[in-house]
Amino acid sequence: MIQFVLLISRQGKVRLTKWYSPYTQKERTKVLRELSGVILARGPKLCNFVEWREYKVVYKRYASLYFCMCIDQDDNELEVLEIIHHFVEILDRYFGSVCELDLIFNFHKAYYILDELLIAGELQESSKKTVARLIAAQDSLVETAKEQASSISNMIAQATK
Amino acid sequence: MKEYIIRLVYVEMLGHDASFAYIHAVKMTHDDNLVLKRTGYLAVSLFLNDDHDPIILIVNTIQKDLKSDNYLVVCTALNAVCKLINDETVPAVLPQVVELLGHQKEAVRKKAIMVLHRFYQKSPSSVSHLVSNFRKRLCDNDPGVMGATLCPLFDLITIDVNTYKDLVVSFVSILKQVAERRLPKTYDYHQLPAPFIQIRLLKILALLGSGDKQSSEKMYMVVGDIFKKCDSTSNIGNAVLYECICCVSAIHPNPKLLEQAAQVISRFLKSDSHNLKYMGIDALGRLIKISPEIAEQHQLAVIDCLEDPDDTLKRKTFELLYKMTKSSNVEVIVDRMIDYMISLNDNHYKTYIASRCVELAEQFAPSNQWFIQTMNKVFEHAGDLVNVKVAHNLMKLIAEGFGEDDDTADSQLRSSAVESYLRIIGEPKLPSVFLQVICWVLGEYGTADGKYSASYITGKLCDVAEAYSNDETVKFAGQFSLRSSVHEVEA
Repeated sequence: MIQFVLLISRQGKVRLTKWYSPYTQKERTKVLRELSGVILARGPKLCNFVEWREYKVVYKRYASLYFCMCIDQDDNELEVLEIIHHFVEILDRYFGSVCELDLIFNFHKAYYILDELLIAGELQESSKKTVARLIAAQDSLVETAKEQASSISNMIAQATK
Repeated sequence: MKEYIIRLVYVEMLGHDASFAYIHAVKMTHDDNLVLKRTGYLAVSLFLNDDHDPIILIVNTIQKDLKSDNYLVVCTALNAVCKLINDETVPAVLPQVVELLGHQKEAVRKKAIMVLHRFYQKSPSSVSHLVSNFRKRLCDNDPGVMGATLCPLFDLITIDVNTYKDLVVSFVSILKQVAERRLPKTYDYHQLPAPFIQIRLLKILALLGSGDKQSSEKMYMVVGDIFKKCDSTSNIGNAVLYECICCVSAIHPNPKLLEQAAQVISRFLKSDSHNLKYMGIDALGRLIKISPEIAEQHQLAVIDCLEDPDDTLKRKTFELLYKMTKSSNVEVIVDRMIDYMISLNDNHYKTYIASRCVELAEQFAPSNQWFIQTMNKVFEHAGDLVNVKVAHNLMKLIAEGFGEDDDTADSQLRSSAVESYLRIIGEPKLPSVFLQVICWVLGEYGTADGKYSASYITGKLCDVAEAYSNDETVKFAGQFSLRSSVHEVEA
């Protein structure tokens, strides 16, 4: 099971965190500080896996962001590396050539996508198309809702004129 | 309002407290508008854990949303349920979730299964009557739902293998279909057919076949096929191959499969990628239990990994060495381990390695001399991290000898222990556990062979007591031993 997902920039700034186990605010800060120290200090040629406390952390660097997932001892590390890649590919398809800024300004959308991919710490959906379709459906409902809202406000505005 | 809540989620993520906003997020989930509801649920699941008080306010909303006509609303509610429900609130939402297992939208069915899996993790008793539903969903039309069912089934099988042995045939046939590319193209990932589902199935088959020759025989063909068909140039291909090796090492051994596994391991170890070397070492560790001669072939590669500057790889190699230790190579291995342990700063891992060293030394020690020396070294460098029981064992061993009735050997052992401790005692900053052992040994046996006078020993013990005057246990041990050596003086 995946315990948590972290996205950290090269300077150690946190871009996204998702916790699949209960961690208090203090524990979260401690974990973030510890892991940032360990992962940001690792060179480029080394393993993408680190043993940390009683878990393993799989991380991969994409441009200026480190994607980290913390897993149990008996999980398959290469598989999780690919889950990270899967997530990045979906983000790329959704945002169209995603960059760190996209994730900063639309982090709530990144969360929605992560929630379609992973649920309760397990991989939920391995098909990119299905995830994309579900997000698009949610987005289109959002768009329709916005249109409705604006059209209603138009009607009211017209009526009260 | 929505914008504010989103900003506050960001703020909390950065570590600042925004608890005043929790109640607003909860209120937002009540809203009928999907945009606001969705944001409310997102905020609530990020802000709260399952033991917070506002959860009670949300349970009602969740129950209503689970019955909604709009499948997107149901999905959002199910997402939130995963994070927020604890074992007290499970009964409140359980009936609806079970109903949703038959929903027409596959996204809903899939999430419902994952939610039940989560319920099972939190409180197994509440879900135990639903196991038959999981079996039904395994045959679902939608591969996504089928894939999701594998998760809870894996957990259930881990606890109780025998109830599910009848499913071996179904799992094997599903795996065969997946490997033959009979799933829709959308499940292909980097030209490999549904690799994540393959990996899950292999894990399940490993559990079901372990120790059971009959079930294992049904799996040999499909696992052999996967070995052949899998693309080893891509990362995900290697992930599937690794999982195959794990499966092969867990089930009843089959020579052909073992050979294929050995070939894959050779490839991993020879590759340049550190990741593959790491997986190779791990896989080697698993196969060694079944066919120890594999280790010999890859000795050089293993030694290379040991010398590698990458810390993670070194640790993994030590794990492998631990599994490979026999009386013929224990000295070399334990020496290496102790050197590595000395270089470590991380206490958690130091304790782990120290206890490994102690285990190996106790099991395979070639001679008593070596055992005492090794234990001394371990204590010297990681004394405070070692379990106190180990110290007691060591003292017992010195007192009672090694079980042989050879008195001369025992007294030789004791005098060599005394010699080494007298040498070490002068060194500064020894760990207190070690000092206790030293004091006790010196007190009991310091004068046993007549080489050192009782007053010399007493003098040394007084020095220790003075030097470590703020450590109560050392002082006590020192005084205790002083008493026994003083008896010697008087006698």
